[in-house]
Amino acid sequence: MVLKWEPVLKDVISEILETMFFAMVEFQDCGRGDRCFDYESEIELQNHEGRIAISLQLSEGFARMITAGFLGIEENQVKDEDLRDSVKELVNMIGGGYHARINDAAWKLGIPRVWKIGSDPTHRAQAAVRLDFSFFEEPAGSAALSYLAG
Amino acid sequence: MSYNVLIVDDSRSMRKVIWKILRLLRFELGECLEASNGQEALDILEGKWIDLILADVNMPVMDGVGFIRSLREKNICRDTPVVFVTTEANEDRLNQLMDLGASGYIRKPFRPEEMGAFLSRIMGETDGFKMGTSVEGCDF
Repeated sequence: MVLKWEPVLKDVISEILETMFFAMVEFQDCGRGDRCFDYESEIELQNHEGRIAISLQLSEGFARMITAGFLGIEENQVKDEDLRDSVKELVNMIGGGYHARINDAAWKLGIPRVWKIGSDPTHRAQAAVRLDFSFFEEPAGSAALSYLAG
Repeated sequence: MSYNVLIVDDSRSMRKVIWKILRLLRFELGECLEASNGQEALDILEGKWIDLILADVNMPVMDGVGFIRSLREKNICRDTPVVFVTTEANEDRLNQLMDLGASGYIRKPFRPEEMGAFLSRIMGETDGFKMGTSVEGCDF
């Protein structure tokens, strides 16, 4: 599978955030950002040759805002459990959207995971190109795609 | 007429969003039931009358394919529409769901109006489910 992932992931993330989370983000040029965020979520796609991990990091403020938009509640009503679950659902939709663009039946979508980033972030993007995005000029998060062996 | 609805999704947030959309669409809700995977849903469905099942595909324990296959094998809710609300993009898997008797699928992300149009058709509501401006009786 040869696919330039950055523009595809940009399209997928924009569509999902606008349609279901009511947020429009702006993407920065791809690079190795050194900023770490507060929440990380990840989903894998796999086939018989290997795996792709799509990973997403979000700031707490942005995660809280999109959770409120998703659930149709005020930000101060967002519980930690809702926030984690909504971020997990976001990466689930991103994985599904990316899968749809690949259009290859051999790939299977995994189950998404989410966690709060501790002192030692495990963002796949630490070792890959990452796609940073902002919300009203405030850094909101970053996405990354990594090819994994086996 | 009110409908008993079962939502099967491992995401609590997604279940909340679907309930909210159904209420926005002025869908007449009777009993509102939830399960976080196919197995839980099967346990709930024993002896229950359900008018509509909205289910995810990718779930732990028992996924959507296993769920609808079990429904058919056990002859449970044979006439109940089963609609998958999913990020699933694998055409083979979607076709497999349809072959097993799914009434259709709604791909995420979707707009509430799209779900309204789809459910109007599935439920045979000639006037259609249309968006309201407020959510009455919404408790989250």
